[in-house]
Parts: sequence; structure tokens; C-alpha cells
Amino acid sequence: MSTLRAVQISKSFGAVAVLDRIDLTVQPGETYALLGPSGCGKSTLLRVMAGFEPADEGRVELAGRVVTRPSPERGMVAQAGTLFPWLPLRDNLAFGPREAGRSDVDEVVAELLQATGLADFADALPRQLSGGMQQRAAIAQVLANGPPVLLLDEPFGALDAQTRLRMHEWLRSVLAARETTTLLVTHDVDEALLLADRLGLLSARPARVVEEIPVPFGGARGRHTLSDPAFVRMKAQILDRVLVA
Amino acid sequence: MPLLTDLARLTQAERGDLPTSPARSQGRRRWRRALGVVVPLLLLGAWAMVSGLGWISPGLLPAPWTVTDAGRDFFFGERRTTLAGVVAFDGAGWGHVGASIFRCLVSFALAVVVGISVGLALGLSRWVADLFDPVINALRAVPLYAWLPISLIWFGIGEGAARALIFIGALWPVLIATADSVSRVPRGYIETARMLGTPRHRLWRRVYVPSALPEIVTGLRLSLTLAWMCVIVGELTGTSTGVGAMMNAARETGRIDEIVVGMFVFAVVGYLADLVLRGLTRRWVSWADT
Ligand SMILES: Nc1ncnc2c1ncn2[C@@H]1O[C@H](COP(=O)(O)OP(=O)(O)OP(=O)(O)O)[C@@H](O)[C@H]1O
Ligand SMILES: [Mg+2]
Repeated sequence: MSTLRAVQISKSFGAVAVLDRIDLTVQPGETYALLGPSGCGKSTLLRVMAGFEPADEGRVELAGRVVTRPSPERGMVAQAGTLFPWLPLRDNLAFGPREAGRSDVDEVVAELLQATGLADFADALPRQLSGGMQQRAAIAQVLANGPPVLLLDEPFGALDAQTRLRMHEWLRSVLAARETTTLLVTHDVDEALLLADRLGLLSARPARVVEEIPVPFGGARGRHTLSDPAFVRMKAQILDRVLVA
Repeated sequence: MPLLTDLARLTQAERGDLPTSPARSQGRRRWRRALGVVVPLLLLGAWAMVSGLGWISPGLLPAPWTVTDAGRDFFFGERRTTLAGVVAFDGAGWGHVGASIFRCLVSFALAVVVGISVGLALGLSRWVADLFDPVINALRAVPLYAWLPISLIWFGIGEGAARALIFIGALWPVLIATADSVSRVPRGYIETARMLGTPRHRLWRRVYVPSALPEIVTGLRLSLTLAWMCVIVGELTGTSTGVGAMMNAARETGRIDEIVVGMFVFAVVGYLADLVLRGLTRRWVSWADT
């Protein structure tokens, strides 16, 4: 299990400063949610963490090592789905394990199809899947490599509220079974409170971590949690702070 | 375990998303394809009428039945021995068509290999593109007929020059389509592949080519059509076999019915070749169908 750290990461695009000395530590097995206003630089931070984009300053550390390039050990699911449209679902899921030259590709794929409830759609092309199915598949594609770290950029942002809730429950069960260190970017407070062990609030651009808040609800979270008075109270508090920031 | 039942219900609801093609739309498609025969039949009728009523001189356009007779002689007539260098007609049809197709395929295959390799290099590397774009675009502007004299000098009269000309004609579409589509592969695919463990040197095979394939196939089809069109130019270089050689000989002897037979052969073979190529490549491009 691995600690994921961002150390003093700054980044600008031309004259636009997007990230301002971001410090962040995600503990082994922890799910950490970053909440921030639209356009503040959440995706940029995640892209730097994934190695898609170099930081101007600062560094990313995984279990104490500095990491720069994209790698199967930091699985990233981008905001817009990342399935390869020319591959049937089965081959999309098999993509990573095949690159790794694993001999148990078929078993890995079968297990993920089961876990995503997509076993009947193994031979369908991505465009034949609904939005929720595509996002589950995109996450499964990344999980196929068994990454110690998972980076999720608003994975369910494009889904309707009910599907999203189902996806949250699904993702909770998946993460619980894997002890993955997860950094989740979102602007949905419900999502953050349902999935995360800790929240980080980001300021408007250039993004800084303004506050870190532990999430007190235990392991068994789901639709029932939404009506829990403590949940409702906390959600209101956080919304206040996000809207002020 | 509420999650699993829930997931099951979810996918149940989602199942409606898999597009099904009802038999009715398939039947309609077949019917629409049959419509494509209507215009050729009308044209044939008009041709027969114009010839039958004597509105046009057979010296300019022979009647359909004259052409049919010539076509029958071409493919099923009795072979006569001809002097060396004289292009045979009666019974020589299959031989000529075969020679033209073979020539076309040899040059087309070479054009595909060169076009895709060079196109990949251009599309994958900004450097290569900056270096070679001007040269390629300038060469591309040289008309095929302008390559004729130098091909004759370099490759000699006959087979060599013919193949060279067909190759040049077929090269550009597949080369340009490959370079263009490869250079526009969305960055997200590359990033995802890198993140999933594809090493840089394998990206072209895992991402660039499959992603660009629909456009490459369009380039291939255009190249094949052009290769077939260039066969006639290639066969003006003095080959004694091939449909183009037959037509050239027919022009010298004033056999306009034989010329029209040749045109029909070009049209039919070209059309069939495209159908075959489309059929062979369908499974590579169907993912991009809308
Ligand atoms: N490649 C780029 N070139 C120039 N500017 C960029 C680039 N990528 C992002 N930006 C800018 O950086 C800022 C932050 O973008 P980013 O996508 O990280 O925001 P975000 O927090 O993910 O927003 P959202 O919530 O809408 O997804 C924006 O102002 C954007 O215009
Ligand atoms: Mg974003």
C-alpha cells in the first residue's frame, strides 16, 4: 500500500497560474476527495499527478519515490471517458493486462465484467453502452492493472442523479475490496461525502488547498446516508465553505 | 446484498441501449439497393432506342447489341494466333483482364506499403512532417501524364513503366489519408494507453493505426480506384497485354465497339474491386459507423 503525495506543485499555462504550491498527502488505502469550484485547476492537478502534464515546480511522490511519467501503478480515469472506441469492452478491459504480458488476462477480464455487472456486454463496443456503463467500464479498465493508486476526475459528472448514486454505491464496494489509495476530484459534495475518508477544499484559480476535513461516516455508506442528519448538516457546512472560496 | 440485485436491475434497464436492427429496416435497405439498378437500365434503354432509331451513327457510338457481340467475342470467342507484338482480341478477354488486374494489384500493394509507412512517419513525427511536407505536396502536384516520359526512360517500354505509373497514381491518397488521420489521433487515447502500460514504441500499433484506420481505409479505397484508373495510362506505354493495350489497338484499327467493351470492363472491374475492398475492411472500420 502506498502513500501518494503532491509536494509544492505549481503550474501555469502561459500567464494563467492554475496550481499554486499544492501540498497533499493521500494515506495508503485512503480515499481523498478534492472539492473545488469549476475551472479552478482540479483536472490539471490530477493530470500532473498522473504524469500527463509536467509540473512547473514541485513533485509527485508515490511511496516515497518521485514519479513523473504515466504508469500502470497510477490508474487515471479522465473526465471524458477513456475507453478505446474501436475495441469491444472485453478488449478494452484486457488492454492493460495484455501490455503487462500477464498470463491470466481472461480471468482478470471475467472478474471485472462480473464486478461491473457488464458480463452480458463483453462484446459490445463502447458506443453501444450507456453513460453509466461506460464510466464503470472505464474504471474497470484501469483497475485491471491492479494499480495501488487510483486517480478519478469527476468520474460520474455526466450522469443523472439516480445513476450517479448507484455508481457511488458500486464504487464504494469496489474500493473497499481493493484497498486502493484513491484521489477523487469532484464538485459534487454528496459524492465527496459518500466516497471519501477525507476532503480537501480548493480555492478558486490558482488552486490552493484551503482546508482539509475528515469525513466521520463509517464504512457502510449508501443512499440511506443521504438522509442522516449528521450528513445533512455536514453537507450544508461544506457547501457554505465551497461557495465562499 | 442489495448492491448486486441493484446492479442487475440497472443493467436490465440499460439493455435497451444495445441497438438492434429490426428485420424491417434490413428489408428496406435491400429494396433501396435494388433501386441502384434502375438508372443503368434506363440508360441502356435510351442507348438502345437512340441506336435502333438510327439517331446516332454507329461510327460514333455502336449499338448495344454490336457491343454485346464484341464483348462475347472478347471473352468467349475463338482464339486466333497473332503475330508477336500484335494485341489479340477474340478470346483474349480473360487474359487481358487478368494482366490488367495483376499489374494493378502489384502496384497497388507497393503503394499501400510505401504510403502507409511514409504516412505513419509523417503523422507520428512533427520533425519528419516539417522536413518532407513541401516535397510531398509538390510531387503530388505533378500530373500522372508528366511522369510518363521519365518512367519510359527509367523503366523501359512495357511492364516496368506501366507498374511505375500505376504506383505513382495510387500512392498519394493512402499516404495523405494516413499522415492526416494519424496526426489527428486524440491525445486522450495516447495518454490512456501510456497510463495502461503501452511503451512509446508500441503506440503506433496499439493506438495510432487502429484509431486512424477508418480514414486510412477511405484512403485505400481511393488509391485502389486511382490505381485502376491509371492502368490505362500505364498500358499506353507499349504493353501487349491488358485491357488498355487492347483499347489502344482498337483505336488504331478504328474498332469503336471494342473500345466500348474495354470501357465496360474498366467500369465493372473497378466497381467490383471497391466492393471487395470494402467487404474485406468492414470489420476494421465498423466501430466508427454512426
Ligand atoms: N492545456 C491547457 N492550456 C491552457 N490552459 C489550460 C489548459 N488546461 C487547462 N487550462 C486552464 O486551466 C484552468 C483550470 O482547468 P482545469 O481543467 O484544471 O479546471 P477544473 O477545475 O478541472 O474545471 P472543471 O470543474 O470545469 O472540470 C482553466 O482556466 C483552463 O482554461
Ligand atoms: Mg476538470
